[in-house]
Amino acid sequence: MTIPEQQPVQPAPQPAPRTYKARGRFFGMPIATLAIWASLYIASSAIPALPIPGMAGMITVNAIMTAISGMILGPAAAIANAAGGIVSMILFPYGFSAGPLGFLTVTLGGLVAGLLFANKWIPAAILELLIIGSWFINPQTWQTGMWMVPLPYTAIALLVIVIKPLRDWVRRSILTQHKVWMWPAVFLMCTVGHAAEFMTTNTMVNWMFHLSWQYWVPTLPYWIMIDTVVILASTIVGVGVLNGLKKARLPQFSDSLEK
Amino acid sequence: MMNINLKSQKSPFQKLDGRSKLVALAVIFTLVLLFSHWAYILGLLVLVMLIWWVARLPFNMIRDLFKFFLVIAVVILVVQIFFYPGTTNLFRISNPIRVIGFSGYITLEGILFGIAMVLRLVVIMIVAPLLVMTTPLPDLMLALVKLKVPYRFAFIMTTALSLLPSIQNHAAIIQQAQLCRGITYDGAGKFFAKLRASVALMVPLILGTFRDSQTLEIAMSSRAFGAPIKRTFLLESHFGVADYLILVFAILLLVGGIYLRARGFGAY
Amino acid sequence: MAEENVLLCEQLSHIYANGVQALANINLSISQGEYVAFVGQNGSGKTTLVKHFNGLLKPTQGKVLVFGESTQDKKVSYLSRRVGYVFQNPDDMLFCSSVGEEIAYGPRMLGFDQGEIDTRVQKILTELDLESQREIHPFALSLGDRQRLAVACALSLDPQVFVFDEPTTGQDYFGGKSIMMLIDQLHAKGKTIIIISHDMPLVAEHAKRVVVLNKGQIALDGTPETVFSYTEKLRQLSLRSPQVTLLAQELGLRDRTLLRVPQIVQWLEAEYLPSPKRIQGGQV
Repeated sequence: MTIPEQQPVQPAPQPAPRTYKARGRFFGMPIATLAIWASLYIASSAIPALPIPGMAGMITVNAIMTAISGMILGPAAAIANAAGGIVSMILFPYGFSAGPLGFLTVTLGGLVAGLLFANKWIPAAILELLIIGSWFINPQTWQTGMWMVPLPYTAIALLVIVIKPLRDWVRRSILTQHKVWMWPAVFLMCTVGHAAEFMTTNTMVNWMFHLSWQYWVPTLPYWIMIDTVVILASTIVGVGVLNGLKKARLPQFSDSLEK
Repeated sequence: MMNINLKSQKSPFQKLDGRSKLVALAVIFTLVLLFSHWAYILGLLVLVMLIWWVARLPFNMIRDLFKFFLVIAVVILVVQIFFYPGTTNLFRISNPIRVIGFSGYITLEGILFGIAMVLRLVVIMIVAPLLVMTTPLPDLMLALVKLKVPYRFAFIMTTALSLLPSIQNHAAIIQQAQLCRGITYDGAGKFFAKLRASVALMVPLILGTFRDSQTLEIAMSSRAFGAPIKRTFLLESHFGVADYLILVFAILLLVGGIYLRARGFGAY
Repeated sequence: MAEENVLLCEQLSHIYANGVQALANINLSISQGEYVAFVGQNGSGKTTLVKHFNGLLKPTQGKVLVFGESTQDKKVSYLSRRVGYVFQNPDDMLFCSSVGEEIAYGPRMLGFDQGEIDTRVQKILTELDLESQREIHPFALSLGDRQRLAVACALSLDPQVFVFDEPTTGQDYFGGKSIMMLIDQLHAKGKTIIIISHDMPLVAEHAKRVVVLNKGQIALDGTPETVFSYTEKLRQLSLRSPQVTLLAQELGLRDRTLLRVPQIVQWLEAEYLPSPKRIQGGQV
């Protein structure tokens, strides 16, 4: 038997530029992709990442999914997360401490980051302000030290949204997939997504169970630690997925941004 | 994971239209947030338990669910007992500790409010499973579409759910593949090992399923998804007498609840 | 126990959690340096069986010995240094950001020191001809190269035994050929090779031993020549001998089993053309 010669690898032809039409899509993302994301979301709700005592029964991998969804799907992440959130809340309720409204938190997480990534920073900033504002509507949050709760990551997220040079740098570093700057940029983007999620959860939980400052203030360092871990993990997954999607030429939101 | 294979069981509750169940449970959820008095919340819990019983759902499921929320339930109880600004001092356990805002007394109001909040947690926790365990998913989706939830959104949910087994299967294969590459998942308590393992799982899982999404998109387009026509459904739901009764009852409950609350009852 | 048995299954049964019996009373031994192909229709238990070889599945009855050690209480990460497993879909194994990182991942997980890791990665890159792609993202590789990379990942742990689940699925002719050449090279270096395949000509051409599984039991076990001579029995199991074998049988060859085209040409020449050179001469 003769041995076939290895053919030199030809570079794959560049695909035709994607043209998005409204039908079968939400905010430029195909419904099929959103359904796939929602399904991944449900599956990830069944994977406990950090079985920790705290507000939620445990932090599941879906926290990572929420944090990175905006960068991958754009504003449509809100829809995919909501669909996935509703179903997974029902199937795996231990990842949601806000009960039947838990899906709202993941919807907002995807929406705020998605809007920012789509460079629609004004609605993103309004949403972020609403999230912070709703925390302070509850008179309970006027107690000692409760103003600190939204500070650690939600305030950073707000800064990323409103400071133009920072916002542009984050978006550019992710869009061009800069080898080094992509990492801090994705970290900040994950901060925006994750902060919107957990701050909404905090607000809802506080409305539901009226936990006083004696709960929130001492546990704050603990939550900062947990959120840092979630955001770091999301950064690693996010960079891996964004790189992979680009290399494998799979659909992602940034396709519709490229001129 | 919760077992949702209860669709075959028939009970009066199962036969109701998805819409009336959805409305009834939404009313219960609203009321449990409206009231903060333990007796009112207990009443709602009894109502939910009654539905649970009528629907012939196993009660040990509530226990299993509660295990996940046990820690937070204890936290809620302790925080309220110690820090609720009550007036009826029951017993003194220490000198006032001003720095943490503790008066030194355990108050009756603190205990009752703590109990109320834990009961509220239980109701919130079991109200959603009640709907899903008793309603086959296609019926639920139909109910949502009938309640004017956009069809495309309901489609995303149903498709996501039907893709779930294959994605979970894919995830299991990836986990096995990672094991073969030297990852250990079972390092007990090894926090970072677990985290690393879930990162190594998510990247190939997301990328792999995104590849499949292109096939799904073609399949959808080739079956004219999104064509601008009025949809009809294979399943049709019918609002029966029982549904109207439930609906009327739910609305009365809601109106009555809001009236009571506005008159100052049921608050703490 | 004989030392040369690298893998030994004793009355191995496996019943899945859902009650499906996938394997029933398998007795099998595989020696150092063998080249074994497992064939059988879908659901016959092939994958279930080979997943026992590196501890991905544990026997529900009986036992599996890998180099004389029972797999029952061993972790996969431990066994993966003895038995490498290459999955059907290479994408399930890859998640790092470059080819080099991907190969280094396994040794790093098992706690090798950096010098050792670098040496191994370099050696494997050279061996598998992936050197020029070291810095490339795995997803930018062609499917054939991703499959090679998956092999490289298994190779990085330097196991003695390799399991390949459907190594040529989805590959074009050259891709499949190149991966099979790679497997043959590993075998030539003394590694024990186990493959699962539905491609009978491929099995006939490469494997030195064929095990046919049916409903979780071993139906046939022997050299390719022996196994593929049971044409009728294979047909009952929804399997088909290579066409070359069938052709030879149709042409009336009963005492031997031929597996390759050159064999059949040789036989026909010997049988019907006493001096083939004459024909060639005649054609000129």
